[in-house]
Amino acid sequence: MARMAVNAMALRRSFRVEGSRALFSGAAPRLIVRMVGVSKSFVGTQAVRNVDLEFLAGEVHALVGENGAGKSTLMRVLAGTYTDYTGDIFFDGRPTKLHSPRVARELGIAMVHQDLSLVQELSVAENMFLGREAPSRIPGLINRRLVEKEAGTILAEIEAGISPTQKVNQLSLAKQQLVEIAKGISTHSQVLILDEPTSSLTKPEIEDLFRVIRSAREKGVAVIYISHKLPEIFAISDRITVMRDGVKQKTRAVDEWNEAELVREMVGRMLDEFFPRRHVYLHEEPVIEVSGLTLSAHFVDVSFSVHRGEVVGIYGLVGSGRTRLAKTIFGLSQPDCGQIRLDGKPVEIRTPADAIANKIALVPEDRRGLGLVQVLDVGKNLTLAHLKALSSLVFIDNREERELVQENIAALNIRTPSTRLPVSALSGGNQQKVVLGKWLSTKPSLLILDEPTRGIDVGAKAEIRNKIDALAADGMGILLISSELPEIMGMSDRILVMRDKRVAGEFGRAEFSEEAIGSLAIAGRQ
Amino acid sequence: MSKTSTGSEAKGGWGSDRSIERSFARLRLSEILRDYGIYIVLVVITIAFSLTTTRFATLSNLILILLQVSVMGIIAIGMLFVILSKGIDLSVGSILAIAGIFSGLLAKQEPTVASVALAMGVPLLLGLACGLMNGYLVAWGRLPPLIVTLGTMYAFRGLIVWYHVNPIYQLQPWFRTLGQEKIGPIPIPIILLLCVAGLASVVLNRTRFGRYIYAVGGNEDAARATGINVNLVKLCVYAISGFCCGLAGLLFTSRLGAAQSISGVGFEMVAIASVVVGGASLFGGRGTVGKTLVGALLMQIVQSGLVMLDVSSPIQQAVLGLIIILAVKVDLSVQTHEEGRQRPMSLLRGMFSSGAK
Repeated sequence: MARMAVNAMALRRSFRVEGSRALFSGAAPRLIVRMVGVSKSFVGTQAVRNVDLEFLAGEVHALVGENGAGKSTLMRVLAGTYTDYTGDIFFDGRPTKLHSPRVARELGIAMVHQDLSLVQELSVAENMFLGREAPSRIPGLINRRLVEKEAGTILAEIEAGISPTQKVNQLSLAKQQLVEIAKGISTHSQVLILDEPTSSLTKPEIEDLFRVIRSAREKGVAVIYISHKLPEIFAISDRITVMRDGVKQKTRAVDEWNEAELVREMVGRMLDEFFPRRHVYLHEEPVIEVSGLTLSAHFVDVSFSVHRGEVVGIYGLVGSGRTRLAKTIFGLSQPDCGQIRLDGKPVEIRTPADAIANKIALVPEDRRGLGLVQVLDVGKNLTLAHLKALSSLVFIDNREERELVQENIAALNIRTPSTRLPVSALSGGNQQKVVLGKWLSTKPSLLILDEPTRGIDVGAKAEIRNKIDALAADGMGILLISSELPEIMGMSDRILVMRDKRVAGEFGRAEFSEEAIGSLAIAGRQ
Repeated sequence: MSKTSTGSEAKGGWGSDRSIERSFARLRLSEILRDYGIYIVLVVITIAFSLTTTRFATLSNLILILLQVSVMGIIAIGMLFVILSKGIDLSVGSILAIAGIFSGLLAKQEPTVASVALAMGVPLLLGLACGLMNGYLVAWGRLPPLIVTLGTMYAFRGLIVWYHVNPIYQLQPWFRTLGQEKIGPIPIPIILLLCVAGLASVVLNRTRFGRYIYAVGGNEDAARATGINVNLVKLCVYAISGFCCGLAGLLFTSRLGAAQSISGVGFEMVAIASVVVGGASLFGGRGTVGKTLVGALLMQIVQSGLVMLDVSSPIQQAVLGLIIILAVKVDLSVQTHEEGRQRPMSLLRGMFSSGAK
């Protein structure tokens, strides 16, 4: 079964053979978009500098670079979101001023955003046709049936398995992403921009997406694909453009790139290794022992332990219960039954405050929603979990707080011009370092990391992985949840695979294989 | 503030040193506008009125304006706590009336230690109790703040009018000390206002609890996941607002020398306006005591100035309304650069939803 080809190389090969490559077959491809000398700056940064770039009909053009490299900004210029750019944009050879999202939409440029922009309270169909509802015979009303029928056709075409009448807030994040893409397709776009479309998708869903992208390419759509995930980029794109610090580095056909070169262009240096693993795990006493933990809607009878200095990975698809498990250990949900022992003693954790008191920390999957208070500044976010220790009676010791902030910024190499900048102004990778720093301040003995490197750039990924490795070497117990198989295999001493709410299996380091772990996580699901 | 700290040698998205400096100059300017814009507006308006009227720029008029703003200032500071936590308190006027009536009833006795203590203490405790009830319903009842305090606004008002419909006059002279006497040249209400403001400022800036209020207002889920007792924080901010209303009711009655069960109708809107004009965000997590006071002061100064210019009272109202809208508009346009987009929908959702998942 092709679905089970988890290995990146195999994935690449299987995608390559399918589908004619419109770009290189037949007549010369049509130039749809030409950008000449495009720049865009914000207060504090010049996000895009003097970029020349061309997009052709019937190509999948990958745009890669670290977070903050300017690729999303550049695409928002093209989508008409940022109107105060300089430079020229030609659409179909005609000079065009993209001074509103509407202009872009009417030209046939559709963008699927990284952070979903669906209206949660509306149905799938209503969302897909928002702003272009089919009029009913009675003026002023909407022909709901027609809208739902058309939405249904598109959803069936991409085999999304979603009913057009469903409310969006009842869908998983992955399904919502598919709705976003269906929405982009439904506008008959000539240019389809996908910003990190696979960040919350499972392997089968990614394959569905790729099939949709290829069919769009065959119809002559220029698909612009922004992603961090190199195997996917190699699998799907015809040409790859690398951006760094707002400047376009190189554009080349996919065959002329290799992975190492691409990474070097992105970060401006060679990353000798992606997965540092210098810590050596010697069998030490357990930090946490979980037995029979059950929260029946999410996970059932989960038992495992994490020892001092050990990195235990939990691998599983989205929805396999791993995130809820992490939240339950941290006191954000109450289990139905089961026991948690810390350092051999049974404990009851009812609230995050209990967990913190027991030296547990959770770096949550949802950085924006659970990790940070976006309106507060970098410094205040860094110390929020640790204020008790920084204050005498009720007053916060300002000097100690400043010191702690500086220590964290130095230790984690957080790049911020000022500690008083709202944390929302930082790039994703630096925000994630702030979350990590916030929890390391509490000096936990068990650190739970839920997707710690999702949606951040290659450089920051490497830094965070290095840090995790160093923490394990210092004796911290680490529970690492990730859906990136290479990451979890590179980092962990042991891997638990979760499937359908249960721990389906356990692998020691010697038994690691992508095939075995990947198929165990997927098996039985269809 | 260490500029560029670790950033200069790194290749992050911050560009070259020169462009950093240039963009910082711009950042500073917008920061200055954001941090001090309201003070500039206050100075400009004061100067404008001083030039157009003769009696405006006098010390006695300044003290008069401060005196007039004292009751509303105290309520607005309480309101600030609630708004910082992304809540709203519509029941402030009704709580003021409850506190006022009871202080009036207790202020008819001779000045013994017990009667003075009761007349001063009971209104404060009643205010606190009303606030605790609001806070309990919002935090543990998981009801939207707008609904809870809209309900208690009517309920408290109904109960106090039913309890004592007639105005209370002829309060004992000792009771009027609080509202009508001075310490040195400064009236006691102004001193009280400044004390409340100072205390509130210390709580918000220097204590753990203060920091937690900003965190809860900024992102409730993240606050909870950081181990903060969100419900307790919410209970406390409504209690503080209630307590401030109790104090304001006491002052109000003492200044007037009479208590009415219909006092304070519409005060909630003026208090919210003061907080908002003072640059606090209804999205929660942003606002300061100083600027809230300036907001309240600004509204009072404009009103007083317009009175001196013989502008009729309906037009005064219209001008104040425009000022509220203008202040928020200016504030938003300064902010949008740095904080990115915040969706208006989420404001409405926040007000009408309980935050419960």
